[in-house]
Amino acid sequence: MAELILCGRGGQGIVFLTRLIGQIMADKGLDVISSETHGMAVRGGSVNSHVRIGPFFSPLIRQGHADFLLSLDSSETANNIHFLKPDGLVVENSEAPSGSSVIRVDASGLARGLGRVQLENMVILGFAAALQGFPVSDEEISLQLAKDPREVVRTMNLRAAEAGMRAARSERYS
Amino acid sequence: MGNEAIGRGIIEAGCKVAAAYPGTPSSEVLESLTRWKKELGHPIYLEWSVNEKIAFEVAYGASLAGARAAAAMKMVGLNVASDPFLSAAYLGVRGGLVVVVADDPGPHSSQTEQDSRFFAWFAKVPVLDPGTPAEALKMTVRAFDLSEKYQMPVLLRPCLRVCHARQNVGLSPPAPTADVGPFKRNWQRWAAIPRFRLVLHGELNEKIATMRREEPESQPALVHGGSGKRMALVTSGSVSSHVRDVVASDDRLSGVDVFKVDLPFPANEQALQAIADSYDRTLLIEETYPVLELQIKDRRKVVGRLSGHVPPQGELLPEVVEDLILSAAGEEPRDRTKPEIKPRRPSLCPGCPHRPSFFMIKKVFDHAVYTGDIGCYTLGINMGAVDTCLCMGASVGMAGGFVRVPPSEGETNVVATIGDSTFYHAGVPALINAVHTRAPFVLVIMDNHTTAMTGGQPTPADDFLADGSPATSVDMVRLVKGCGVNLVEVVDPYDHDALESALVNAKSHAFQDGGGVAVVITRRPCVRMPNAQRFTERFEVGEGCDRCMTCIRDLECPAFHYVKEEKRMEINTDLCSGCGFCVKICPAQAITSKGA
Repeated sequence: MAELILCGRGGQGIVFLTRLIGQIMADKGLDVISSETHGMAVRGGSVNSHVRIGPFFSPLIRQGHADFLLSLDSSETANNIHFLKPDGLVVENSEAPSGSSVIRVDASGLARGLGRVQLENMVILGFAAALQGFPVSDEEISLQLAKDPREVVRTMNLRAAEAGMRAARSERYS
Repeated sequence: MGNEAIGRGIIEAGCKVAAAYPGTPSSEVLESLTRWKKELGHPIYLEWSVNEKIAFEVAYGASLAGARAAAAMKMVGLNVASDPFLSAAYLGVRGGLVVVVADDPGPHSSQTEQDSRFFAWFAKVPVLDPGTPAEALKMTVRAFDLSEKYQMPVLLRPCLRVCHARQNVGLSPPAPTADVGPFKRNWQRWAAIPRFRLVLHGELNEKIATMRREEPESQPALVHGGSGKRMALVTSGSVSSHVRDVVASDDRLSGVDVFKVDLPFPANEQALQAIADSYDRTLLIEETYPVLELQIKDRRKVVGRLSGHVPPQGELLPEVVEDLILSAAGEEPRDRTKPEIKPRRPSLCPGCPHRPSFFMIKKVFDHAVYTGDIGCYTLGINMGAVDTCLCMGASVGMAGGFVRVPPSEGETNVVATIGDSTFYHAGVPALINAVHTRAPFVLVIMDNHTTAMTGGQPTPADDFLADGSPATSVDMVRLVKGCGVNLVEVVDPYDHDALESALVNAKSHAFQDGGGVAVVITRRPCVRMPNAQRFTERFEVGEGCDRCMTCIRDLECPAFHYVKEEKRMEINTDLCSGCGFCVKICPAQAITSKGA
């Protein structure tokens, strides 16, 4: 069982990330239910997704129950922190150094380095996969992304996820 | 996704015709059908209709012709389709007819929190209320069977939390498309005059009574517990999923039984009453009106919306549900600090062609009343260029009223803005009315060649249907002229000078020359569409910037960012689309091509 909140601004690829995680879980035969933001908010407004893995009926996470909060925009973290359980972990897209319960990675910077800031969602996912208890692994992410039939998209997504994974490894040894 | 599961259900039920008008949270129902059609080579006919009334009528026509048919819309779409919907309940159907109506408690992306189960009750139409995407698929197929069995339309009411939830869902092979035989003329039934309508109303009441008595879905089903007599929870639809999770996760609620009603109208009243009578307390948790609660006659031991225990507005989120259940069970609610949420406001995209249109409207028509409409361009409120937003097409209709009450004698200054899809949907009759009544206002039709807000569905101006098959393009200029408008001008909103001069012409035509309504069509594809022009050029703010804030306040472009500490304006090149409109409007002419 695991519960994840993904948050950011409309246009940052939160929905794509939600579907990717959901698909990996479903392919493993696990029960997964998630909820997405659509409509007016996706025009640059605040968006979040809930992903719940386990025997749930509701697609929404209750306040104080999420294991992880993946934040693609540091100014959105505060809007979603109440979902996190007391010993939950924040993974934030930011240039700032990591703190005690907040692990930070400059996903935008790494994505920009790959030529497209829009790849920041893949970078943060690759980075988070290395964390203890995170529901999807490096290998599962790579296998899922490799299924994309569009060559350019597939290559770029894989590269971005790998950049995130590398950043996580260097974080661990630093 | 729940909407995709509903689309799959429509295919699995052997449906032959489906029509819809896009609207959050319903749009993905027809979108998923276009994918299923392609993937499976399925013969279903699909269309994005001009509006929901027509979508319903297309589906109804197909049903009378003998096929299974579906119409999909959001709840305010049912308001538009209410005329044929209520009448169809009396006449009945032939092939199974399912109307998918997505509700939006919250509301997140809508004008109202109306409960379509209540609307169904008003129309005397049965309504199925799924709690999860997996249930939505099963109920869609069941809805077709019920519709054919009782020869009446059936409404499927998913809420946003079902529509936009994703879940692993088991699929079944699609049933072959079948029909109930060709249409046979019978005017007493299909074109009934009032005398026969009375008879049909009697038959409708009979059908509802039979359904209430005999269909298993109208019975409350025990979905959790079953031991106690302490407290019963009666629920339906998406909120039932929150209820089940909350009760299952808290030991203090082990004596609480949960009953779920899949067909909340017509529900089995005797069975509901039996629950209310046998428990010490019964709590009704349903979204958003007290539909089940009202079907319990003796409510002395019942709490819910009518008793004031459940808040009368707002979405019943899991935390709200948890507090309601704990307090009704006499338990201490959880200690929770109220989260401080400062949501980021949505904005027109960088490079959105609506932005220059609004900017120039503000410049040319100072001190006007700006009647607005439903779409991305409602966000013109951020630029102070939208004063009203009522419903689809109301910008044009309301402008016709505003001009009758001028602020002072002879002074009318009303500018209506509407998108292309919304104009086709409900703006056309209002424009005919404005022409006929000589209403002096300016109408700006912001034509971005798509239904952008809901994800880019085609409009009647496109020459293809939902599934890509050929269609006839309905030319907007010919349409506007055909409505009787004398001044129609088409302009590219990126062309600063042409845009200004078109609006100035329209202003003098409508307000000074007594020429009646003038129409300016600002035409450029939505920046999110594949056919949008892309620019590689980027811009920067130079030394000349005097921090007048025109770019942030009046143009409201999200790519601009004021660095407070350094008192300097900055353009975020990740966000900038390179449209270059800011170069023309910067009063200090401080914006230049980057690296030039």
